[in-house]
Amino acid sequence: MAASPLPPPDPQFVLRGTQSAVHALHFFGGAQGQGCPLLLSGSLSGLVHIWSLQTRRAVATLDGHGGQCVTWLQTLPQGHQLLSQGRDLKLHLWDLAEGRNAVVDSVALESMGFCRSSVLAGTQERWMLAMPGRGSDEVQILEMPSKTSVCTLKPEADAKPGMPMCLELWQADSNPRPLLLAGYEDGSVALWDVSERKVCSRVACHTEPVMGFDFDSQKARGVSGSAEKALAVWSLDEQQALQVCRTHELTNPGIADVKIRPDRKILATAGWDHRVRVFHWRTMKPLAVLRFHSATVHCVAFAADGLLAAGSGDQRISIWSLYPTHSDMSAPLLGPAEGREVGAHAVA
Amino acid sequence: MAVFDTPEEAFGALRPVCVQLTKTQTVETVERLRAQLQAVSDSALQELQQYVLFPLRFALKTPGPKRERLIQSVVECLTFVLSSTCVRERELLQELFSELSACLYSPSAQQPAAVSEELKLAVIQGLSTLMHSAYGDTVLAFYEPSILPRLGFAVSLLLDLAEQEKSKQIKVAALKCLQVLLFQCDCQDHPRPLDEREQKQLGDLFASFLPGVSMALTRVITGDFKQGHSIVVSSLKIFYETVSFVMADTQLERTSDAQPKPASVEPRVAELMVHREAKWVKNTSDKLTVLIEKITECVCIHPHWKVRLALTELIEALLLKCSQSLVGSAGPLLKALVGLVNDESPEVQTQCSKVLRHFADRKVVVGNRAFADILSENLHSLATSLPRLMNSQDDQGRFSTLSLLLGYLKLLGPEVNFVLRSAAHLQRLSKALIQVLELDVADIKVVEERRRPSGGLSSPPESAALLQRRYFRFFTDERLFLLLQQLCQLLGFYGDLYLLVDHFMELYHESVVYRKQAAMILNELVVGAAGLEVENLHENHIKTSPEELKEIVTTILEEYTSQENWYLVTCIESEEGGEELTMKQSGLQAITSAAHTCQVTSFQAFSKPGPTICSMNSNIWQICIQLEGIGRFAYALGKDFRLLLMSALYPVLEKAGDQTLLISQAATGAMLDICHACGYDSPQHLISQNSDYLVNGISLNLRHLSLHPHTPKVLEVMLWNSDASLLPLVADVVQDVLATLDQFYDKRATSFVGVLHALLAALAQWFPDTGDLGQPQEQSAGEEGSHLSQKPAAPENTATAEDIEQFLLNYLKEKDVADGNVSDFDNEEEEQSEPPKVDECDTGPDVEPPPPVHIQIAKDVMERCIHLLSDKNLTIRLKVLDVLDLCVVVLQSHKNQLLPLAHRAWPSLVRRLTSDDPLVVLRAFKVLRTLGGKCGDFLRSRFCKDILPQLAGSLVTQAPVSARAGPVYTHTLAFKLQLAVLQGLGPLCERLDLGEGDLNKVADACLIYLSAKQPVKLQEAARRVFLHLMKVDPDCIWFLLNELYCPEQLTPPHPSLHPVQLRGTTGQGNPYAANVLHLLQELQ
Repeated sequence: MAASPLPPPDPQFVLRGTQSAVHALHFFGGAQGQGCPLLLSGSLSGLVHIWSLQTRRAVATLDGHGGQCVTWLQTLPQGHQLLSQGRDLKLHLWDLAEGRNAVVDSVALESMGFCRSSVLAGTQERWMLAMPGRGSDEVQILEMPSKTSVCTLKPEADAKPGMPMCLELWQADSNPRPLLLAGYEDGSVALWDVSERKVCSRVACHTEPVMGFDFDSQKARGVSGSAEKALAVWSLDEQQALQVCRTHELTNPGIADVKIRPDRKILATAGWDHRVRVFHWRTMKPLAVLRFHSATVHCVAFAADGLLAAGSGDQRISIWSLYPTHSDMSAPLLGPAEGREVGAHAVA
Repeated sequence: MAVFDTPEEAFGALRPVCVQLTKTQTVETVERLRAQLQAVSDSALQELQQYVLFPLRFALKTPGPKRERLIQSVVECLTFVLSSTCVRERELLQELFSELSACLYSPSAQQPAAVSEELKLAVIQGLSTLMHSAYGDTVLAFYEPSILPRLGFAVSLLLDLAEQEKSKQIKVAALKCLQVLLFQCDCQDHPRPLDEREQKQLGDLFASFLPGVSMALTRVITGDFKQGHSIVVSSLKIFYETVSFVMADTQLERTSDAQPKPASVEPRVAELMVHREAKWVKNTSDKLTVLIEKITECVCIHPHWKVRLALTELIEALLLKCSQSLVGSAGPLLKALVGLVNDESPEVQTQCSKVLRHFADRKVVVGNRAFADILSENLHSLATSLPRLMNSQDDQGRFSTLSLLLGYLKLLGPEVNFVLRSAAHLQRLSKALIQVLELDVADIKVVEERRRPSGGLSSPPESAALLQRRYFRFFTDERLFLLLQQLCQLLGFYGDLYLLVDHFMELYHESVVYRKQAAMILNELVVGAAGLEVENLHENHIKTSPEELKEIVTTILEEYTSQENWYLVTCIESEEGGEELTMKQSGLQAITSAAHTCQVTSFQAFSKPGPTICSMNSNIWQICIQLEGIGRFAYALGKDFRLLLMSALYPVLEKAGDQTLLISQAATGAMLDICHACGYDSPQHLISQNSDYLVNGISLNLRHLSLHPHTPKVLEVMLWNSDASLLPLVADVVQDVLATLDQFYDKRATSFVGVLHALLAALAQWFPDTGDLGQPQEQSAGEEGSHLSQKPAAPENTATAEDIEQFLLNYLKEKDVADGNVSDFDNEEEEQSEPPKVDECDTGPDVEPPPPVHIQIAKDVMERCIHLLSDKNLTIRLKVLDVLDLCVVVLQSHKNQLLPLAHRAWPSLVRRLTSDDPLVVLRAFKVLRTLGGKCGDFLRSRFCKDILPQLAGSLVTQAPVSARAGPVYTHTLAFKLQLAVLQGLGPLCERLDLGEGDLNKVADACLIYLSAKQPVKLQEAARRVFLHLMKVDPDCIWFLLNELYCPEQLTPPHPSLHPVQLRGTTGQGNPYAANVLHLLQELQ
């Protein structure tokens, strides 16, 4: 199996020039037909670079976080608006339409943690923002763009889950009530009912802090990575109870980020061991280990068309085209040709 | 002479002469009448026209034999009258016409009378004038059916004259007159255009003459080329005017099949009448086709351009006016036209293009199915015979055949796709093109010629043009190649590009035999498709859209630069090539690894069943063509090509560093093309602006070095051509390179050392050390030198005791300095160079921030160099020493980085100096010299401790050997080593500013080599050592030399001093005499 002569997979291309470690990545445009697709990257030096995936060059640089690390980037579905969170305790809302790049609004953060925020935005004007709150274990929910505080989610006194590490707001198709998934410092993942301000369910997935997770709301399944040597897959049943389905052992400890591809076929993890690992989402079978970076991989992101980007401490962003998503989704995910490649690199 | 304005006066004047003429018809009388007529005004003469004409006509009509001279003057006189007056009555016109034409006819011989040329000319003139003098309506009335016999007679007479006559003048006049008769006169006297009915009437009438006229004229036209072009030109003109008039589609389409009963026509005349019904048209057209074919064939190759020009007019007229009636002739006509498109005369070319454009505008071809069919048919048959023609014809023939093909394509325009869609014909066409474009690949020079190993890639493009000349197997004419290029471009422009590209791509894949030609064709197809060099004759034709074109170009590019088409074996002997081969076919390992010298392997190559010279030549050309293609694509896409640079620039740059001259030139050419197309000033600009794309390719390829062995070379080229702004981009790649190097120390060190060299050279250039130490030191050395040369001037006879005392004091002080006892109040001159240097490197260490990127890189590289210094490969060791040298230069201002590294490099550097190849020894000396300049103190003690004893020792022990050896000795390794050490020592000692003791060591070791018994080269080297040493301590050396050989008795500078006796003997037998003398002279 390992004797296959196929060379290890290469990135499709590599973006250089951030001149500092890359901590946040986000794909933008392209699929919705808004011109050429863009990739946004946030760096340790506080800059947000906007890359054109067509020319593979930075088209603009946003400087708004006073030289402090940018930890989270997210665009809003309508309008060309970008949210960026920085370690300078600011959350900026940028207007990117028609080549503009100006801060139109900001929210002050009150927690110095590592937690990335999350938004829940539909087609309406108003949207919801979840961000770490004032107390070290609190999560604050704001209604945007008015910035009115909806509530503060504080765990019960006896729970002591530690700081929230990662957040995800979502809404079940059947139920309009917003829900919040939060990964905590003690390695647990909790599901909050935002309107009732209570924890629906909480499950301990890891023994180390949860560093990142992604949730597939269709399958009601999520996957989380932590500082330890394992990935945890957990699910949510109809009673909104979380339970760990399985854990997947890794060779090296430390997962900085986990992302499921929009078509829910594969997922990618950003490893402290400089590697990006790709798994089959349904079976959690390891598919490939992407070795390119020479420093910790801090973040991964998937584009709507399936492109994978990984940002690393070596100041490079690698772009990978893996098991390309075909326009007709009926095709089997892993054809024989792709299977070969898997064979070569399944060994982590 | 009086002028008679009124008819009365004129009558009075003319009457006597007329009367006399009626009575006695002599030439004199006619002349007198003519003289009188001169004085009569035109209006008066008009009144008296009939009266004056009467005696003249009478003279003509008088029966009986007449003297020619008389007839001639009568005709001339008649002509004069007619030229000044108008003929108003039809009867008069008819009668005059018959009478005049009868003059040339001898009833007995049934042929033109054998009369004098002057008379013939006069009659022709007369007829012509007569027709001009007739009023418009009168003329029309004249052309009634009843005139047919008489008109026919005149026409045949004129044709006879035109055909048979010797005199060119008569011929021309006859043709001119014929034109008048056939209503084709182009003078200004016939202003009224004919209406339809009249045209038809005339057409019916002339139809009767058509056979005669066309045949006679054809004979004239196809006659001897020497008869003069004007005759052929006017014959052609009459031919097409007549044919296009009689056979005009507009007239024929209104002809009914039933013959209208001609009113009041004699039966005899009615017989002559022609009715132009369908059957007649068909018959006539068939016959005309034969004639037209004859004419086109003959005239196409007529040497005079005006004739060919007239032919284009003929074609235009016939095709425009008789497109239906003469449909059968369209083939030959179009063929002729198309063949003239590339005529050698620019006039004909322009006219031809004009006609073609006209046709296209009027949609003559495209709008007319029949024509399009004919053209397609022609193209079909040409395509079919093309391979054979290309094979059998000579260059001229090929040229015209291809011109024809080109013309068809131009005419057909978008319709060409009908032909192309037929697989068989496309096959034929492509085979022919491929065949004719076959290159001659026997030239060995192409394989042999090597790029000059320079760093920069901008080899002058003008020399490239010279060398890129291709030799084709089947033709030598450069024009043919241009024609073929045009042809392909036109195909690309009008043809279905997808279809064509697919087809030629298939051929490209099919066989290596077709590959080069297919690539050439593909290149031109794309250029053509962009519509850049093509003259569009078909305005409604839609060009290939830029997006489509980009897509197609991307596909072709991918193919060109794919592994199997881009990395071809073009040479055997190179180190990389050798490695490649071993990678691919491990069986050859023994051969390739055994030989590193070019010569040996290339000879082996001949006997080895590996790549032959031919196949390598072919590969070289293929790469060149593909490179050229990339340039062409850039040209075709313009600025749009910028996006493709992502994938295209890397391969091009890779080839720019290729060692085959031709390839690197082609790559440079392609880069220039890209620069032009994408708006970059120079290749340097191109590279620096797109270094991110290059870096991407480099870093990805470095991951698979075995598949991409040329990657280091690209990095090298990029480094040579960029500036400091590149550094942030390459920083990580450099780390990759070093990491890869660590993995492949044994296998790929050569190429990597090249990169490291380029990198360090670039760093040294990008970050010049601001507080440069080298410069002032050189200066101070110079000063020292001058100071030294002045010094010996001091001990002169005029010296005083004080002088001597001062001198001694100075000497002591200097000696102190030389021993290293540097004190603060030291001598100015020396102080300036040394202490600041110390300061500079001392301030750094304590507050050192993390070193800048370039320093870090230089540090990392230097570390690798330490390992590589002991590589088995000589060239690598040499290269590494160069790199090391540059590392020292880059690191010079960061002593705390440099010194530890120098410390680590020291042991292996020592080994290079003491026990290695002479070349390496020399190079190592150079490094030491640089190192000495940058960290002198550190080095001095090390050198004196570790190296000097060994070197001096070996010099001393070798000296007797070399002194005794014969002439063969200079070829031994020992000699080379001696030489290298001697050559290296001098500059180094100077740079290190050695102390007295060490200096003596050096001098002692070298002194022996000043002996005349030593080989000359060693003596020279030793002399040079001493020259350097003199700069450090002249007095000491002076003393030493004098100890060896003392040329003169020394007289003390002051009587109070003792005379000195030195050990050096002055005898003639001293072997050191010559060299020491020479050196002492230098010292003076």
